[in-house]
Formats: sequence, structure tokens, C-alpha cells
Amino acid sequence: MRDSLRALIRLTIALLAAICLSGCLGLDFSRSRRSGDRQLTVSAAIGQIDATRDASLRLVIAGLDEDTAGRPARALANYQRAVRVDATNPFAFLALARHHLEGASVEEASAFLDQARSLFENDDLHGRAVDVWGVGLRAGIDRELGRDAEADQRFDAARRLLPEIWGDERLSSAELR
Amino acid sequence: MARARKKAAGRSGDGARGKAGREDEDDSGRSRALLRARRVGLAIVLLAFVSGLWVAGWLLELDRTVVSRFEGRRFSVPSRVYAAPMVIYPGVDWQRLDLGGWLARMGYREQQEAGPLVVGHYRWLPGRLRVHLRGFDHPQLPEPDRKVEFRLEQGRVREMRDDRGEPIAVVALEPEPISSFYGTSREQRDLVKIENVPAHLISAIYAIEDRRFEEHHGVDPRRIVGAMLANLRAGRIRQGGSTLTQQLVKNFFLTPERTLRRKLTEAVMALVVEARYAKPQILEAYLNEIYMGRRGSTAIHGVGEASRFFFGKRVPDLALDESALLAAVIQSPNRVSPHRHPERARSRRNLVLELMEEQGRVPSLEASRAREREINLAAVALESGQDRYFLDELARQLPEVYDEELLSVEGLRIYSTLDTMIQHAAVRALHDGLEALEARLGPPPARSGEDPDEPPARLQGCLLAMRPQTGEILAMVGGRDYATSQWNRCTLARRQVGSVFKPVVYAAALSPQSGPLLTLASSVEDSPLLVETHDGPWEPVNYDKKFRGTVLVRDALERSLNVPAARIGQQVGIGKVVEMARRLGVQSRLPAVPSLALGTAEVSPLEIVTVYSTFANGGLRPTPRSFIGLLDERGVGQEHWPLAGARRVLDPGTAYLTTSLLEGVVDRGTGAGIRARGLRGPIAGKTGTTDDEYDLWFVGYTPEIAAVVWVGYDEPQPIGVPSSRGALPIWVDFLSEVTGERVRGAFAQPPGIERVEIDPRSGARALSGCPERRVEFFLTGTAPEATCPRDARRRRGFFDRLFGS
Repeated sequence: MRDSLRALIRLTIALLAAICLSGCLGLDFSRSRRSGDRQLTVSAAIGQIDATRDASLRLVIAGLDEDTAGRPARALANYQRAVRVDATNPFAFLALARHHLEGASVEEASAFLDQARSLFENDDLHGRAVDVWGVGLRAGIDRELGRDAEADQRFDAARRLLPEIWGDERLSSAELR
Repeated sequence: MARARKKAAGRSGDGARGKAGREDEDDSGRSRALLRARRVGLAIVLLAFVSGLWVAGWLLELDRTVVSRFEGRRFSVPSRVYAAPMVIYPGVDWQRLDLGGWLARMGYREQQEAGPLVVGHYRWLPGRLRVHLRGFDHPQLPEPDRKVEFRLEQGRVREMRDDRGEPIAVVALEPEPISSFYGTSREQRDLVKIENVPAHLISAIYAIEDRRFEEHHGVDPRRIVGAMLANLRAGRIRQGGSTLTQQLVKNFFLTPERTLRRKLTEAVMALVVEARYAKPQILEAYLNEIYMGRRGSTAIHGVGEASRFFFGKRVPDLALDESALLAAVIQSPNRVSPHRHPERARSRRNLVLELMEEQGRVPSLEASRAREREINLAAVALESGQDRYFLDELARQLPEVYDEELLSVEGLRIYSTLDTMIQHAAVRALHDGLEALEARLGPPPARSGEDPDEPPARLQGCLLAMRPQTGEILAMVGGRDYATSQWNRCTLARRQVGSVFKPVVYAAALSPQSGPLLTLASSVEDSPLLVETHDGPWEPVNYDKKFRGTVLVRDALERSLNVPAARIGQQVGIGKVVEMARRLGVQSRLPAVPSLALGTAEVSPLEIVTVYSTFANGGLRPTPRSFIGLLDERGVGQEHWPLAGARRVLDPGTAYLTTSLLEGVVDRGTGAGIRARGLRGPIAGKTGTTDDEYDLWFVGYTPEIAAVVWVGYDEPQPIGVPSSRGALPIWVDFLSEVTGERVRGAFAQPPGIERVEIDPRSGARALSGCPERRVEFFLTGTAPEATCPRDARRRRGFFDRLFGS
């Protein structure tokens, strides 16, 4: 009994030491959360709600591909069709917000981001996408509007979540895809 | 004396001058005749000159008429309005979407023969549907034609594959034409270009209508003589001698009267046309102008529209037998109508094929095969007059430049937000609901001063559906019958809204901007209330004229109690209520009087559905829209209105609380009839019945669709039932057809909302000993701190607490 207790104490001490050591070496345990955040892409959301959502997500992906290929009109058409199929798909509005921000239509970008946020609030699976993508997009809107202090603050927050995405203060269609 | 001398001299000279005189007389006669002849000649020359001038003027006038018509806009093509494209994907319920009905309405035809599927055709196989979809233009995203195999299982599309067997994720179907902006002539045509017309259609028309078209100069004397002989033999007019050019001239410029003058003008104009224009130009004009029959009240002109109407095909896709049938119909579209007289049509089609064969225009084998084919027509889809309410609203939304005249001639293709499946459900639900209601209630009592011989007034109604996130109008039926009343009650009528206005009052009181004044668990008095107004004291009463003492806010709305709503309106201030209504989308005049809280304002159904869409959309107000974009007749985009984002007008927490209240109305309150009909899932809504049951309303929503039903008489009079028995059943019929029994999705619960168990009697926080408890929603920090009364807790015995009650 005493031996078991001792073994348990040793194990606990070893575990704590390992955690401290890793901290000293700069390892970041929150990275697992970040890699999870990276999974909050449109493609990763397929197969999680229902067939209607999947069809809508596929149209969003088609739109993102069109944006990547430099065909914004076709991209917009695909996003709009995605909304038509499932108007409760937050990713469709997120993609619209990103698309309009790229086109410097700040007012529309802001409205679509509000819509995406409202819909993500109901989404247990992807609710964190509001922070992961939304904060950076909102920062981009602030930047366009000349509200640099707010933009810097929000971009800092976005970079803490996904530094490799928000390093350039821009969310590309391929990254959201 | 002088007269006597003259007489004598005359007598003495008679003999000498006799002959000479006769000669003189002859000369003068000749000269007179010559003069006369000259005069006649001159007159003839003059007449000829004048006639020549007149003829020249006439010819010039005819030439001018011909040129102005040919060089200008030759045809008035009504602008056609299309619904939104239907989208199919694996997992979708194809029966609910009525895919079979879509194929029929769009003129797709079942292909019986083996071999590759022809465009516009489909083939049913066990568990599969193969369709060769037509390509289509669209201001957002055009689609090419393609072959798709739908694999079906238990009423759903299991998967879709293209002709190479590759899986397809999403297929957008060609948008359905809803209706057209006809001018006064109500003609419909689909223009074709001569280079796109198959040779066999041209040959068929030549064979039966004008075999020497390529040779004559507008008039064919041989044909005229032949026709005269045939008519003489028959003793009546059996055969015409008109060439295609003459037929074109008659239709283009002249009236159908059978007079010599008209025939002469026709012949001369035909010569002018032939002198001016090349044969292909004349033929193209003919193919687009010729009358081909009727679809309902609409005249079909040209082979393009006829091809679409008869076969659901574009002209380039016509088969030989179909071309022969089109040619057969030309002479007498009504007598040879393949829909009404299939045998007659078939016999004349075969005559065309025989003539084509005789004239060497088609090989014998092909002609004989074509003759054996049955006439296979596309289903006739008559336009629903009820869709025209939507069309009128669409026309109002178009930019001003697209006026009525332009829309009726320019051949524009206008793309709208209408969802045909939802529109059909709306038309059916409103029609059946009003019929059933009238059958139950009987005719309304005659109003004083009304003519007893006049037919009794009929109940009217409106059903309008909107997508809350986008404001897209999905369905709109603005009345019972467009043919008898074009007044759109969804958009133009302003009627008292009654209790459907109460959620606006509650939202104003629940909003943090008001404090908030209330929570869903606040108590409010349902007891006599007297409010002094400019017009004297106002004393609201409940629908059942009873008072219930203290009630909770949730219960007050679920039971649609008037007195608590009036009290809340007073507490929050009518000015704030008006402000909230404006923010939510009400534009009509709102009198700032205490009774506004009970919905005494007159508001349109469109405004009301916008208000409820805002609740459904978490406080983001959509802008109603029915127009997406338009293409001109060449398919070039002229207008495109991209989707616009909704605007934040209400905080998400208040929107959610209001939705929660309205869910309670459906689950337990005056809207419980919805649950009784077996509809499950997230549904929120509110009944509304105005004083004396003049107006019945039901407005409800799911996360994906908001819809309003209004029922009443155009001249207000009592209906005799409350909205739960008048408007609500129509709404339920509509929604269950659109969504099925299980509504998809959930209402978003935003951050800043907390769930707390309360005692439903007192509204206090429930502790473990409270006899009853229910979950209630609160803006964070507003939940009650007081707990349910101690005596209430004590009342429960040990066994009650153990086993519950």
C-alpha cells in the first residue's frame, strides 16, 4: 500500500517536472487547440450537420476555389447559391464577408460577418470559428475603416490564435477553404 | 336692213360655198376630234401621270413601312420572369421538391428509345433517373447542358453522377419561367436566328407552305393559278395562293380581312420586301412572326416559342417529325392543334412528310420512319395567375427605366427570388384554406345598404414567405384570384394587425435599452386598467373579457392577454414602442396612442413578416427583395443585385428572448394548433385577431423561413372565428408542405443568455423544494435573485419531493 502510494507520488512529480521542463523549452501545449482551430475550415465542416449543410458547404468551397482562381463574380455566385441552399450555414456568410473585404466593400463585409457570427452562435461544433476567423476579419474591416488601434488589437488576438494565418493580416480563400 | 342684206348675201353664196363649206366642216370636225383626242390623250397622260405619282407615292409609302419595320424592332417580345434555380444534392427529398413535376413543367420528355439521351429528355430506370439537362443563362451563374444520373432511395437522392460516372455534389436546375410582362396583345415568342434553325424545319415549311420560295419574287403566279383552279373545283375557298413572303406581310403589316384591295397591297408589299431583303432575312422574320396557337390566354408566335410549347425543346434540337408537325400547324393552328386534335395533327404532319419526300427534300426511309412516330408532346404548363401578384411586386422593385412598355417589348429575362415549390404550396394552402373557411362559415350577412342582388363578399387572404437571413421573398400570393382582383394584399393593403404587434411591445420592454424593464419571469397585472387619452379614457379588455390577476410575462404573451400588453406598453412608453417597430421594419404610420400596444395600427403583411424575420434572424433585419438580376434578349447581363447583408437593429439577446416567447405561443399558447397538427422542431409564431374578428393573422417562423397569413374581407366585416381557426390552419398547411413534419435547424442562443429554473407561479428562482419549476431564459445578470416562497417549498411532503408530482 505504502509502495503504491510512493509510486503514485513519484509519477506525479515526474509528470509535473516534465511539464515544467517543456515550458522552459518553449513548448506550447495550447498548440493542440490551435491545430484544432485550423480544422475549422469549410472543408472540415462537411459531414457534420446534414446533407443540406454539406451541399451548401460544397458550394462555398466552389466559390473559394473561384476566388483563388481570380474569378470573383463566379465566386460570389457560388456563395449566393450556397446561402440559397442553406441560409443557416455560417460559413457561407463568412466566405461572403471575406470576399467583400477583399473587394473593399466594407459595409457589406461587416453585415455578412454579423450574420455569420449570429449563426455560429448556434453551432456547437464550429462556434469557435467566430473567434478564429471572425476576429481577424473584423480587424480587417477596422483597418479598412481607418480604425487602426482597434485593428491592431484584434489582429493581435487573431494572431495569438492562428499566427500562420493572420501574420499577413489577410485571410486568403485557400486558407478558409 | 343690215340683217336683210346679210341674209341675202348668205343665200346668194350658198351654192358656191357648198362644197368648200362641207370641206371646212369636215376639217373643223376633224380638228375638233383631234382636239378632243388630244384633250383625252392629255387627260390620259395627266391621269397616268397623277396615277403614276400616286402609285409611286403609295409604293414609297409601302417601302417606307417595310423598311421601318424590318430595320427597327421587328418583334415585341415580352420580358419573361424566372424563379430561382432549384438545387438538387445527395440527401435531398426529391419528392418534396417535386422533381417529377419540375420535369413536366419544364417540358422535359421521357425518352422511350434506347441510345444516348437527347437534351431535354429523361429516362426512368429502377432506382434511377437519368436526365439530359438543358443549359441555361443566369445573371449569377450560368450552367452548361449536362447529363446527370440521379440515384434514388426512399424518396431521397442518394447520389448523382455525370455521364462519365463521376460523382456530382450539387446540380442547379434551369429556373422555371413564372410568367411574362405581356403588353396588351398578350403575345409570347422566343426569337430564333436563321442559322440555328435545322434544315428539316425549313424544308418542311417549304414543302407545305411555299415550295418555290427560293425561286419567286414574293408572289408566285403558278401557285395563285393552281389555288384558283382548286377553289373553282371545290366551289369555295379551300386553298390560298399566298407565298411565305405574303403571309409575313399580312401578319406584319395588314389586317386579316379578305378583300381585293388588301390582297393587292399584300402582293405589292411582298414584292417590295423581296426587292429589299435577302431570302434568309425574310425567312427568319417569318419563322419568328408566324402564329402557332394559344396557351391559355397567351398567343404563341414563332417556331421558337412553339417548339418550347409543344416539345419543351429549343429549335436546334428538333427532330424531323417534330419539324413536320410545326409546319403542319401553321396553316390552321387551332384546327390542327396537336393538343386538342392529335389525330388531325398527325394526319397533317404525315402529309407534310409525304410532300417533303415527293419533293426530294428528305430521303424516303427517314420520312417513313418519321411518319411512324407518335406525337409526343411536352406537358402544357399553364401560367398560374396567382403568380402575377409576385410579378407586380417585382416590377415595382425594378429600376424606373424598366417601365411597363419596355418590359412588354424588350424580351428581357428577369430572374427573381421566387421558389416555385414554396409558391405552389402557398397558392394551394391559401386557396384551400379560404374555401374551407367559407364552407364552414357560410356567406357573410349582408351589410346595410348593400344591394341584395349583389353576390356576397368573398373572404380574401394573403400568404407571404420570406427567408429571414436574406429577405428573399420565396412566395407571395396577394389575394384569392388575380383574375378578379389584382390588389396585392401582401404589399399594398394596410390592415389592423392586432396581437401580432404585441411581440414588438415585449421586445421594447425586454431590450437592455429600456433597462430592461422586464424579464420573461417578471410579473404583470392582468386587472382592470384605465388610461386617460386625448380622446377620453381607454379601458382595454381581454379577448374573453376576463382578468387573471398577476401573471408572468411569458404567460401573458402565450395567452395573448391584452391588458398586460397594454400595461407593458404604458410602462415602456409608446414612443419607445414606435421606435422599436421602426427599427424592426414597420414603415406605415403608427399613431402614438396607448392602444398601439394592442395592434391598432394598420400595417402591411410585408412589413409584419420583416419584423418577425428580424426576430428569427437574431436581431439582424433583412431587406425584402424579389429581384436578382436581368439579362437582355442576347443574354447579356444588364442588372445584377447581389445579396445584401442584414442590418443589426436589435441586440441578439432580446431577439432570442422574443423568439423564446413566441416558441411558447406555439408550444402552449394560442398557436398550439401547430403542434396539434404534428409539426415538430423549432417553430415560433403569434396569432392576431382584431376587434370583432375583422382581420385574422398568423405570423410564424422557423430558423429558415418566416411566413405571414392574413385573412379578411376587403371591406372589413366580422369573419366569425378567431385567427387560431382562420389564419393559423392555412399557415400550418403551408409550412407542413414546405418542411414536412420535422422542421430543420434550431434557433440560435447567443452568448449573454442564461438559463435559470424558476417557479412558474411567482417567477422567482426555483430551489430544490419548489413544487413546480421550468427553465426560463434571461439576459445575463437579469435572472431573479429571490427564490420561490418558503411556504410553497414547505407544502411538498417527503414523498412528493422523492417521486415528484
